[in-house]
Amino acid sequence: MAEWGRTTLEMVVQELQQPVRLDASFERRVMVRVRRVYAQRRRRGLGAWLGVASRVTHHPGWAAALAAGIVAIVTAGVLRSRPPVSPSASSVFEPVQFVLVAPAAQSVAVVGDFNDWGLNDSALVATNHQGVWSVTAPVPAGVHRYAFVVNGKEWVADPSAPRSAGDDFGMPSSALIVEDSTK
Amino acid sequence: MESSDAALVSRVLHGEVNAYGALVSRYRDRYARYAVHMLGNREDAEEALQDAFTRAYRSLARCEDPERFGAWLFRILVNRCRTSGARRVRRGQTFVHDDGALMKASEEHPAEQTMWREEIERAVGELSPDQREAFLLKYVEDLGYDEMAEITGVGVSALKMRVMRACDRLRTLLREVHSG
Repeated sequence: MAEWGRTTLEMVVQELQQPVRLDASFERRVMVRVRRVYAQRRRRGLGAWLGVASRVTHHPGWAAALAAGIVAIVTAGVLRSRPPVSPSASSVFEPVQFVLVAPAAQSVAVVGDFNDWGLNDSALVATNHQGVWSVTAPVPAGVHRYAFVVNGKEWVADPSAPRSAGDDFGMPSSALIVEDSTK
Repeated sequence: MESSDAALVSRVLHGEVNAYGALVSRYRDRYARYAVHMLGNREDAEEALQDAFTRAYRSLARCEDPERFGAWLFRILVNRCRTSGARRVRRGQTFVHDDGALMKASEEHPAEQTMWREEIERAVGELSPDQREAFLLKYVEDLGYDEMAEITGVGVSALKMRVMRACDRLRTLLREVHSG
């Protein structure tokens, strides 16, 4: 090895500055943790999250705008088809179409107890058809709770469905009963 | 066009949780290097980095200058590595090298180069945590002493002393290897 000096120090540093590449799954693992925190905040209510955001980003009209947005969506009306009612839970999956009319929305997703409330990228992403957002997904037969998430942040109950008796996470949700077609 | 840190932070604070993924992607490899050298193995480094990203998300509203999110995150990581290093000392573990990385390096570099890298990593691992931190921040992360003081909360003169002692110690360790 060369005598210790500037040159050797540079060699040491050069070696230590070699890039370290993490496994491709690293980002996904971090985002699982982050979404868990996000879900915990949702359980505590949207107000806590907005309080944080508005304090830092200085958007005094944001909460009011959000409230107005929700009203606009809810009053827009809903098209929806659901399977007939069945009281029992089952491992049988039935196709269910979720539809929300929301012309001003940039995105709509469906979350519910059947997809772990959207954790781990499990939210059902709806497709926009001139303001009518829809997605069809297999849902286990039984009684479920669900909601629409508009623009990634506005949690909206389905206006055409009965409200769930116990709204999850302090957020509005709707009740869905899926019948087992094999019975 | 790539979004700025401030724009991504703003989107996350407005509930667009997926925007945080872009920040993770932007800083993961860059800061993994520091954590790996500081903690001595990839497993602890990944855990520390994951924890730093999660803590940063939890406290994002307290990031006073979102344009400098990276520097703020790095400060969290440096603190996290200190905690992890302290835990490792308490557990009485020895410095463990990243065998996977060494094996990969041996495939890509001549044997001499791999040995040199191994000697360097071993010598860096022999430094005290304070000296290792100061040396890595100064020379590997290429920070100025004022930035180092801001990140570590340690005075500039103390940091200079740590860097100097780290260099002396590395010189001794690397000479010992070659004379022995």
